[in-house]
Amino acid sequence: MPAAIEIRDLRKSYDDTVALQGIDLTIEPGEFYGLLGPNGAGKTTTIGLITGLVRMEKGSISVFGKDIIRDYRFTRSKIGLSPQEFTSDWFFSIERLLIFQAGYYGIPKKEAEPRVIELLEKFGLAEKRETKMRQLSGGMKRRFQIAKALVNDPDILILDEPTAGVDVELRHMLWDLLRELHQQGKTILLTTHYIEEAEQLCERVSIINDGSIVSEGTPQKLISSLGKGVIEVSLSGWDGSHDAQMSDFDFVYEPETDGDRLIFSVDNPGKELPRIVAALSSNGCHIHEVKINKSSLEDVFVAMTGRGIND
Amino acid sequence: MINWIGFRTLVFREITRFFTVYRQTVIPGLISSGLYIIIFGLTLQRRISSIDGVPYTVYILPGLIMMNVITNAYNNTASSMLQMKLLQQIQDMLITPLSNVELAVAFIIGGAVRGFVNGILVMLLGIFIVGMPLENPLAVILIIFMVSWAFSSIGLVIGITAQTWDNIATMVNFFITPLIFLGGVFYSINMLPGFWRTISLVNPIYYVINGLRQSVLGVGDTPFSTSLTASIIMTLLFSSIGIFLFHKGYRIKS
Repeated sequence: MPAAIEIRDLRKSYDDTVALQGIDLTIEPGEFYGLLGPNGAGKTTTIGLITGLVRMEKGSISVFGKDIIRDYRFTRSKIGLSPQEFTSDWFFSIERLLIFQAGYYGIPKKEAEPRVIELLEKFGLAEKRETKMRQLSGGMKRRFQIAKALVNDPDILILDEPTAGVDVELRHMLWDLLRELHQQGKTILLTTHYIEEAEQLCERVSIINDGSIVSEGTPQKLISSLGKGVIEVSLSGWDGSHDAQMSDFDFVYEPETDGDRLIFSVDNPGKELPRIVAALSSNGCHIHEVKINKSSLEDVFVAMTGRGIND
Repeated sequence: MINWIGFRTLVFREITRFFTVYRQTVIPGLISSGLYIIIFGLTLQRRISSIDGVPYTVYILPGLIMMNVITNAYNNTASSMLQMKLLQQIQDMLITPLSNVELAVAFIIGGAVRGFVNGILVMLLGIFIVGMPLENPLAVILIIFMVSWAFSSIGLVIGITAQTWDNIATMVNFFITPLIFLGGVFYSINMLPGFWRTISLVNPIYYVINGLRQSVLGVGDTPFSTSLTASIIMTLLFSSIGIFLFHKGYRIKS
């Protein structure tokens, strides 16, 4: 089966600014894929090129094996997009807007109506069906935006910062919903500023910076590729004379002392912890507390890009 | 293959859009035309009793109809397009399986219907108020339809290229309105001195006003066929430019 989305050597410039400098990306059918990057990294441009909102310059994109330029009717019918910015409308109710949107995809009104009602109910907007866009709260607008992306029952759902500006409760509700859609077999491409979101939801992520993909893999693989984890042991009975014995172990890093605490930077905290505990006990130390701090995807992001995701 | 359902949906949306605000899009044209008939027609009729054997109040009616057709058709498409860009609604359409031709033509039809409806309503007003005759009803419908389409296309081109509401108003205030008034709404160009008469001949609106005058009253400064040809040329030219701009994504796609 061809890839859900296949991007090859994608390049794009705006006047003198290079937005994308040769991106290659493959997203398999049914995959939950995350695109992480700071502002201006090229995430929205990539999504815009996939969906036809941005003019293609160089490279190719195919959706389920079909070229997005040549076979745009097929590829666009397979995709639903929830853009980062809210779109608005001054004239029509949200129910009417969803029926129109379904119509643009070639879905007759009679077929669209029950689906629209179902979506409005699913997203908690049924009572607001006669309301106009501008009368909705920010959270409702975000829900409407995602409902609109689903109106054509797409195989691929593309979400550009879907939880930006929403409260924690709604964020978790949206996460549950995205998991449900993923379980139903939809391919999901997500861009986010929330690293936790990518860690929680995505099977694979790409880190994009300055228009290039700097790293790609499962969140776990990316974290382990960065390596470090930290084991922090609070203890008594430690003195400097133990250093020599401790250094016999093949820990990657020497322990750092901080008062009555020892801090070990190791490759694999889970594997090294029993050895550390055994060594300290045999040296007559009394262990009071052990804390393990694993590297996070955020650490990977900082290591790869040299800046935080919100910088 | 054409996305008929998508195309019909967008046409329906565009038509419904202007009908939902009929107080802004339909009623004002009727009121201003009624005022023109009363103020200009009835007052000037004392000084200009007839032109080409037609009472002055009746003579100006085809010009008033065309004025409504042109401004409504233009304004509808230009404002709809700019609004869609500013509110980012256009994205909702660009991501769907609608072709550039379908998108452009659907927007044009929306404006053409508004121009047509306004033209027909002012025509009915003229028939009821001053008993305006209809020499050739089919030709009337044809020329109103063609001019609605032509100026709706111009509206599309300006709506795509415009970045502010000011850009749209500039076109109306500095080009369309002067050309309408100089196109013989209230007079025959035979009443003008030679130089100004020659200048009027390069004004496309002069031809469409006289085309309607010929089909309504059976009199006019130009033959109906010339007027129809002028409106067909404008229709084809500006529809093609609108479709081309959509295809290029000019100021629509980044």
